[in-house]
Amino acid sequence: MDPETSHFETEMNRGFLQILVLAMLEKDMYGYSMVRTIRELGYEVEENTLYPLLRRLEKNGWVKSKWDVSEDRPRKFYSITEAGRGLRAELLSIWKKQDEILKHIMKEKSHV
Amino acid sequence: MFEKLEAYLEEISHFLSGRKEREEILSEIRSHILEKTEQESGEATEATLAKVIAAYGPARRVAEKYLDGRPIIAPAFKRFLFRYTALLFAFHFVFTVAAVVFKESFLMFPIVYVPSMRPFEALFYLPMALLFDFGIVTLVLYLITQGKKDVRLPWPRFSVDLDEVKVPRRTIGRIIGLVAMSALTGTALYFYVRYRTIFFVNFDFAQHRPIFTPEAGQLYSLILIGLWALGTLGLAAKLVTSSPWIDAVEKSLSLVLLGFAFRQPLDTAFAVHAPEGLVRWINLSFTITLLIICIFVAVDLIKALVRIGRKQLAK
Repeated sequence: MDPETSHFETEMNRGFLQILVLAMLEKDMYGYSMVRTIRELGYEVEENTLYPLLRRLEKNGWVKSKWDVSEDRPRKFYSITEAGRGLRAELLSIWKKQDEILKHIMKEKSHV
Repeated sequence: MFEKLEAYLEEISHFLSGRKEREEILSEIRSHILEKTEQESGEATEATLAKVIAAYGPARRVAEKYLDGRPIIAPAFKRFLFRYTALLFAFHFVFTVAAVVFKESFLMFPIVYVPSMRPFEALFYLPMALLFDFGIVTLVLYLITQGKKDVRLPWPRFSVDLDEVKVPRRTIGRIIGLVAMSALTGTALYFYVRYRTIFFVNFDFAQHRPIFTPEAGQLYSLILIGLWALGTLGLAAKLVTSSPWIDAVEKSLSLVLLGFAFRQPLDTAFAVHAPEGLVRWINLSFTITLLIICIFVAVDLIKALVRIGRKQLAK
């Protein structure tokens, strides 16, 4: 991928990753497990981007976290809050609308 | 305890200093790196950790992702930073030239104080002045940015928009100007070499009568010849390049020469007898004319310095 496309991809990922994280956190997950799940779905996520995002979401009350120290390695588990569910619904609605507009435009273009 | 991991976290910690959640961020990164290393390599060793750390990214970039994106100066003010700095420095430069020529101190309250100095001192003073101007403009823009107020800053244009300014290449006009200026300078130089002055009361060169005393005549002649020579060289240089440095150098030297003209008292310079009232009137007219010329030259110098400053600082 050329650097210009890569730059656009990073821009697009920023919004997508927020919806993706809010969608995934219906069940409790910790950072590394989220990275792995996303990769298994065929999508690449920068690890050092995910954690600051989770922190921002938590700061705004859309996500909450707790440390699990029951095992050898302490892990920080995240889960979505009610406010987070509300945000997720709104973001999904925006995303669907954008998708419809894009499909409509592409359809019009293919007819020309 | 893994040395590489702790050194990496220490480096991130350095960039996060002052943030109260720093320890938690570091614990999170430590946990992630150890988990990933074990999952992917089976065992965490210095060698396997090094790979995962490298993939996680340079410490500074990692830390930056946790920092709020609020800039020190709002991107919209970037162009103001360069223009205001260049403008302030241009004033600073003009007053420095004046301080050297007139051996006087100048104060533009409350920002600029230019002490009386010698030319050699000015060489050290000007870089300091540039840094000071950059700092003061940065400070003002920083305060505006942090105040988050929607401030509309003035945008000086000097009658031309310096952003879009393209120096037109009127080559034929310049060649004609160059020929005329060369002829004028050459002729003046010829008269000066022959008579030690270029100011005469009559045109009968067999019995020529100079306007000024020998000392004053020499000084005024050299100043005028110098100004014409600078104009000639400027025109010649503009045939090959449109660099604003030409104007800057030409106008700076012109200002210095004009400053010398100011310092020479005119009322004792005349070699011919004239009524006192006429001398006073000539003195006043001469001073006003010189002042107007100085202002025009200074404005041109400021414009040239603003262009140079914006180009250089934007780099």
